[in-house]
Amino acid sequence: MLKCKDIIKSYNGHRVLNGVSLDISKGEFVVILGASGSGKSTLLSVLSGLERADGGAVECGGANLSELNDSQLTAFRRDKIGFIFQQYYLLSHLSVQNNVKMGADLVGNKDYVKIIEAVGLGDKLKSRPPQLSGGEQQRVCIARALAKNPEILFLDEPTGALDEKTGREVLDYIIKFKAERGITVIMVTHNENIAETAETVVRMNSGKIVETRKNAKPKTAYEIGW
Amino acid sequence: MIISVKDGFKLIGVSVVFFCAAFVCTFMLSYYMDVVSLKDVVSDQFSALYDAQVAMSKFVSVLTGGVLVLIAVIMLVFYIKLYVDSHSKQLGVLKALGFSNAKLAAGFCAFGLSALVGCSLGFACGYSATPFIYESMTIEGMPEVAVTFHYELLLGIVVAPTALFAGIAYGFAYLKLKIPVMHLIKGKESKIRLSGREDKERDFLTEVFFKTLSSKKLLTFFFAFSAFCFSAMVQMGLSMGDLSSEIMGTVILVIGLVLAAVTAFMSVTSLVNANVKTVSLMKTFGYTARERFFSVLGGFIPFAFIGFGIGAAYQYGLLQLMVNVVFADVAEVPAYEFDMPVFFITLGVFVISYAALLALYSLKLSKISVKEVMLEN
Ligand SMILES: Nc1ncnc2c1ncn2[C@@H]1O[C@H](COP(=O)(O)OP(=O)(O)O)[C@@H](O)[C@H]1O
Ligand SMILES: [Mg+2]
Repeated sequence: MLKCKDIIKSYNGHRVLNGVSLDISKGEFVVILGASGSGKSTLLSVLSGLERADGGAVECGGANLSELNDSQLTAFRRDKIGFIFQQYYLLSHLSVQNNVKMGADLVGNKDYVKIIEAVGLGDKLKSRPPQLSGGEQQRVCIARALAKNPEILFLDEPTGALDEKTGREVLDYIIKFKAERGITVIMVTHNENIAETAETVVRMNSGKIVETRKNAKPKTAYEIGW
Repeated sequence: MIISVKDGFKLIGVSVVFFCAAFVCTFMLSYYMDVVSLKDVVSDQFSALYDAQVAMSKFVSVLTGGVLVLIAVIMLVFYIKLYVDSHSKQLGVLKALGFSNAKLAAGFCAFGLSALVGCSLGFACGYSATPFIYESMTIEGMPEVAVTFHYELLLGIVVAPTALFAGIAYGFAYLKLKIPVMHLIKGKESKIRLSGREDKERDFLTEVFFKTLSSKKLLTFFFAFSAFCFSAMVQMGLSMGDLSSEIMGTVILVIGLVLAAVTAFMSVTSLVNANVKTVSLMKTFGYTARERFFSVLGGFIPFAFIGFGIGAAYQYGLLQLMVNVVFADVAEVPAYEFDMPVFFITLGVFVISYAALLALYSLKLSKISVKEVMLEN
């Protein structure tokens, strides 16, 4: 489904990704662990076609991302990708509903209210993000990403700004939707416990993958420590 | 302190406007004062022409000076608002630490520097240009006007505006700082109204389009103003050559171009900067470059054309006024009519340069990625 080989990426001569290779199959739940600055976010943006690698190849569903031009890359993101960030990045001047429409409109999804209800925010359709708690905002982000029916969901430290209780709630929603919809999920975190919920755990250090392991029996969001 | 000398100098846009105002006012007022002193020497035969020259110099300096100072005030207030909004967290923390409003606002006096820089340069250039301007305005048979240095002009054109602007900056910042500390720290987002008119069923792109437009009303003014300057001053400059002197026409033309360019760059830059987050998110989600561009910038383009139209009408009215009122008693002044060719040339140049500016910024917009927004946090 999503494969990358020997990815190299530098900023201003500073090498951030130094030969990263991954092979992720459809419906897999991958957690990428690593210290701050180890290149996790950069890897996500290369895998999702937001940035181009300096070397190596990214292949997704038969398409080689480095061979696509900018508008083909845009179309690729529109059709395949969902993104969730640590800092939410909701548009604060738009209502919850319109934030979710940002995802839904791209694919002509008229059922977006159902998704908002599914993340437990059916009564907050007209609220603005600044009026919501952190956990609620992150749930809006989940709805926004799911509303475009992505095949692959990228999450960059989705629980990094949340406390334990809301963190578990958000993680629980992610695991639930992954199972329901069979989406491929690639999640970055530096919380070692969260890795236990994944099927595959990848550890990064200084722009390299230093460990890859499988969890025989992934735990739920409420079984792990925090 | 929170405002550094550097921030004061960053207000180049404001300085440029001040420069233009000071430049024109210096030589026009100087001419006016020098030519007035000749009153007794002028023979009866020339008195009508002489009166017209005096009136014209007064007219031009009051008009350009007044309009430009007004614009500079608006721009300054706009910048301070932007500054307070983008530094509100920092200001809030300082306030929480016990700095008084008066003390924080005092730092904003540095904005007066932009007036000092613009006005001094404008005054210096205006004064150096006077001999040439005088020469170009010389009328055969009339006594030559000698260049004199007027200290009161230095006072009025450099010292007074600087003091005034430091004062305005202080007062405005003081008012803005009166919001409670927590609101400052949480930033603008904390005071979003609950009762937004949001219930219309609009798609996302339309929603972003109208929300951007309505949250940046002042910018619609600057888009219109930039086009207004371009339209009015370029056309006036081109037509003015026949009515007054070539040099006057050129000065007006150049000032119009400079003002239009400065305000256009200023408004597009702040529009783009204010929308980095929206644009980068839309890019992440797979909205095309065209969709990103039009939802953020598209709403402002009609205002530029409205400004252009008003500018054309304005310069026509103004020149008519000048011909009919100021030069009313002078026989040789040619009748002034709306200059269609000049209008279309100006419009053509305007459309081309505007398209170039927007293309530049659309390229800039298309390069913005979510990574930059993330690195800021
Ligand atoms: N767009 C960029 N420009 C310059 N440097 C960058 C950019 N993106 C990331 N970096 C640098 O690359 C390194 C890795 O960043 P990142 O991938 O965000 O790490 P992580 O997500 O693991 O914390 C950091 O040192 C960061 O400063
Ligand atoms: Mg990161």
